[in-house]
Amino acid sequence: MKLARQFWALLRMNLAGIPARLGLVCTIVIGVTCAVAVLVSMLAMGAGAREESMGAVSPNRATLTSVDAPSPLQSSIAQDAAPLIRDLPGIRRNAEGKPIVVFQVTVFVQARSKINRAQIGFPLIGMTPGFTDYQPELHITAGRMYNPGLHELIASNKCVRQYTDFGVGAHRHMRGGDWLVVGNFDLTSTVCLVFGDGDTILSAFGRNTYNQANVMLQSPEAFADLTNALKANPSLHLKAQHEAEIFAQNMQQLNGILNFVSYFVGAIMALAATIGAANSLYAIVDGRRRELAILRAVGFNSAPIVASVVSESILLALPGALIGALVAWLLFNGLLASPFGASFHMAVTPSLALLGLGWALGIGLIGGLLPALRAARVPVTDAMRAT
Amino acid sequence: MKYLPLLWSGIWRKPGRTALVLLQVAVAFALFGVLQGMKTGVDRAVAKTRADLLIVTPADFGGAPLPLSYLDRLRSIPGMQSVDFADGFLGTYQKPTQPVFVLAIQPSQLWVTLVPEMFQVLPKDLDALKNTRDGALITADIGKKYGWHVGDRIPLTSTTLQSDGSGTWSFQIVGTFTDHEPGEAGFIVGNYDYLDQARALNKGTVRNFYAIIADPKRAAEMSDTIDRAFGNSSNETKTGSLRELAQQQMRAIGDLNFLIRSVVGAVLVALLFSITTIMMQTIRERTPEFAVLKTLGFGDRPIFLLVVGECLLICIAAALTGLALATGVFPYAGKFVPGLSMPLSVVGFGLIGAVLVALITAVPPALRAARLEVVDALAGR
Repeated sequence: MKLARQFWALLRMNLAGIPARLGLVCTIVIGVTCAVAVLVSMLAMGAGAREESMGAVSPNRATLTSVDAPSPLQSSIAQDAAPLIRDLPGIRRNAEGKPIVVFQVTVFVQARSKINRAQIGFPLIGMTPGFTDYQPELHITAGRMYNPGLHELIASNKCVRQYTDFGVGAHRHMRGGDWLVVGNFDLTSTVCLVFGDGDTILSAFGRNTYNQANVMLQSPEAFADLTNALKANPSLHLKAQHEAEIFAQNMQQLNGILNFVSYFVGAIMALAATIGAANSLYAIVDGRRRELAILRAVGFNSAPIVASVVSESILLALPGALIGALVAWLLFNGLLASPFGASFHMAVTPSLALLGLGWALGIGLIGGLLPALRAARVPVTDAMRAT
Repeated sequence: MKYLPLLWSGIWRKPGRTALVLLQVAVAFALFGVLQGMKTGVDRAVAKTRADLLIVTPADFGGAPLPLSYLDRLRSIPGMQSVDFADGFLGTYQKPTQPVFVLAIQPSQLWVTLVPEMFQVLPKDLDALKNTRDGALITADIGKKYGWHVGDRIPLTSTTLQSDGSGTWSFQIVGTFTDHEPGEAGFIVGNYDYLDQARALNKGTVRNFYAIIADPKRAAEMSDTIDRAFGNSSNETKTGSLRELAQQQMRAIGDLNFLIRSVVGAVLVALLFSITTIMMQTIRERTPEFAVLKTLGFGDRPIFLLVVGECLLICIAAALTGLALATGVFPYAGKFVPGLSMPLSVVGFGLIGAVLVALITAVPPALRAARLEVVDALAGR
């Protein structure tokens, strides 16, 4: 009880002294602000990319690929395997009673960037009939769906924004001649997506195998039935993965780079902020030597002194974190970032702000600890004599 | 000279405080070094890549490969120096999770100098490959990863089938090469003839042609000439110089420039503010000492220079430490971000930055110290 009262008295004294040492106090706040703003805005890239690519993931969707393929792009499924795959258990049926299985082939074609006219590869994805049953959230915003058997494409609005000639009515010259963009759509993804009829693309690009088979499950639990059936039939040479797993795999490299850069830069900034905070607090504590010595002389304990200085440090760091998160939100939230070929809107989420708050807590705690110990150890006689 | 001891004792008046300032500036400059080094490293890597090497690929990536018969047509294009090609296929070693890419080439001496920044091979290894039809060259990395040695025979499983329907390819390791591409420890080099004669599909085709042109300045023009030559065939091409490709890849990182500038800006703001306040505090505490110096006959100017000198010395020493730290981090960070290097220009920029930081932060406190009135200062006013 006595210690708590001492602590409160000390803390009030510390806080009352803030206006007198505005420069030093601001150093702590600004240091933390910069560190948190940088950390949060860097992480906002990863958060934005995750949000946009994982936003539409459904536990009801699974993808079949060759057993030994490291990614769907290296997988191949022969056309004559299609009936066998349609008969696998656990697959949902559409209104007409047909199993929802969509075979997919992906080829990369060149597009031109709107900004600098540079050539960039985009995935042209061929889907066999049943695509709309598999991906009901695909929302056509202009034009119409492509017709099977024709050289028609639909392009996501991301393509229209990034590259030339993806609007409805645009002609694109690709293998097998002229292709017409007949629709634009919205679908959550970090990259530009273009869809066309699977078998048309297969023949136009001289392919004889699909890359993957996408299936809609009866329920998330039906995934086990599907994998068991695949294990029981090794001649199919297929493995099943949840949609989330495939998406996470695609994101892995981008996420790895973004996270490394974010935490690396964030940690260095936090270190600098911690050192700056420690230095300022040393100066603040030094300025209070006499007061502290008097308090020690009249019976104040070391523990409340340590606690009060650390609390002061944390109390100064927290507003820094709030301002930092706010700055990151104002500057970067919703900003279109396009690092490493992907394109997405940065997202400053509440959880990132909380993370920034946590880091600020750490900066305050560590930065305040050493000065607090010094404050508690002020030799009474020396301090009284000090000028 | 006589001021040096005074300067030195001024710096170490409060060793703890000075050490923390040193550390803080060093950390900030380490960050600057890493970020800036990343950018200049990338720029330099791009500038170093060959502009006279054109890569000819199928117009649609992942589409049908190009016919080998293009080789002679490419060689006959005026201004062409030499043309070579490569194919390849993906296999796995023992487990599906251990992919190994086989780059299939015709082992001509051209490969010794083709792309030294990515792929280095000695003539004797190329000869060994030439003399063993199913031979393979490996990197030290992949050898260590799977326990392979020269002389070993290794089986790879692939979806690229042989004429007899088998997906197992066997290679005899006959030599080594060095691969400078970061992060990819998964490729070996084999003979194109072995691959092409044994495979069931796509016989007589290749993945890329490598065309070296006489005049690197005509790279764009030559690329267009090549693409036009195959324009309306069933196998259209897309040609670009190696430097152009590198630029495209690096442009992606270039998009981060804005972010890098923001980070460096934030660091600078925090640093300037922090050091200025600490310097102000120091000068305030040392007011009586400066008053004594003035009483002893020191003028305004020497005192001003004394304070600025202290700050300059600390900042430059700390900046150098920080940049050295950054260079130490590079081998580690290089695993995640390719192309890191610390050219002298970054060190120069860092030093100029350090001097600017020192001047900006030291001038206000130094002016304050220089303008002290002795009587007031000694009286503690």
